[in-house]
Amino acid sequence: MKPHISKNFIIRNLFLCAAAIAITSCGTATINKPRSDAQIESLRTFELAFIDEFAVPHKRFNAAAFDAKVNQGNAMFQQAIANEKFTARRPVLNDLKAQFDADAAHLRSKASRGKVTPALASEMKKDVNKIYDHALGR
Amino acid sequence: MPSAGKTKRKKSTRKKSELGSALDQVGDESTAAAMKEFQDLLAQAKSDTTELVRQNAKELEERLILLKKRKIDKEDFDFFIENQKRDLRVFIDSQPAQAQERAERLTLHILETAATKVVPVLLAMI
Repeated sequence: MKPHISKNFIIRNLFLCAAAIAITSCGTATINKPRSDAQIESLRTFELAFIDEFAVPHKRFNAAAFDAKVNQGNAMFQQAIANEKFTARRPVLNDLKAQFDADAAHLRSKASRGKVTPALASEMKKDVNKIYDHALGR
Repeated sequence: MPSAGKTKRKKSTRKKSELGSALDQVGDESTAAAMKEFQDLLAQAKSDTTELVRQNAKELEERLILLKKRKIDKEDFDFFIENQKRDLRVFIDSQPAQAQERAERLTLHILETAATKVVPVLLAMI
């Protein structure tokens, strides 16, 4: 085989490999996105239920129940981040985790002092829905 | 559903005038100028073509009114401002670089102005 033919052969194979990788990556992303969406919806449901349970005006603050729920949430987020196959979603999941941490900290602070108002609960849920909608590209 | 849209616009106008009339009560000249600048900026953001910018401005306005009515306190307000910033980052993460810059300029600046200049004025009125 002449050198220039051999060189062309190598270049063609490299190009084919690169195309195959690109096509496979797109396919993987397409397959993983619905699963990733479902995972995010599950986290949203958990967080809204968390707010419903603890952002209740005049409700006596139960620190043990609160901590248990926060630990459950942390575990859910850690698992979701570790198992995320749709790589573009990883930074978004980190942002959602940061939102959960902030919600938990604020709710603990307010609920433990009996300072939860109906407007606080309602606005918190509004923010959760908004950030999750944006995370899902809606 | 034209009637639903009409109702929504009316509600928004009512809220705007509610905040606007409160901010118009400021006597001090330099503070009044800052409030006027904020209201102009808010009006500009509320009529922007980008949904995120409009939504951010509308939420900010609603929360300023909740603060003034003492339905939320300063801690809650600051918390929601941080949420809005965090949400913007989530949105911005998925935008092209040029769109990111524009969204940041039109949203974060208003949030900062509200937190640093408008809130102290509203709290002094309570």
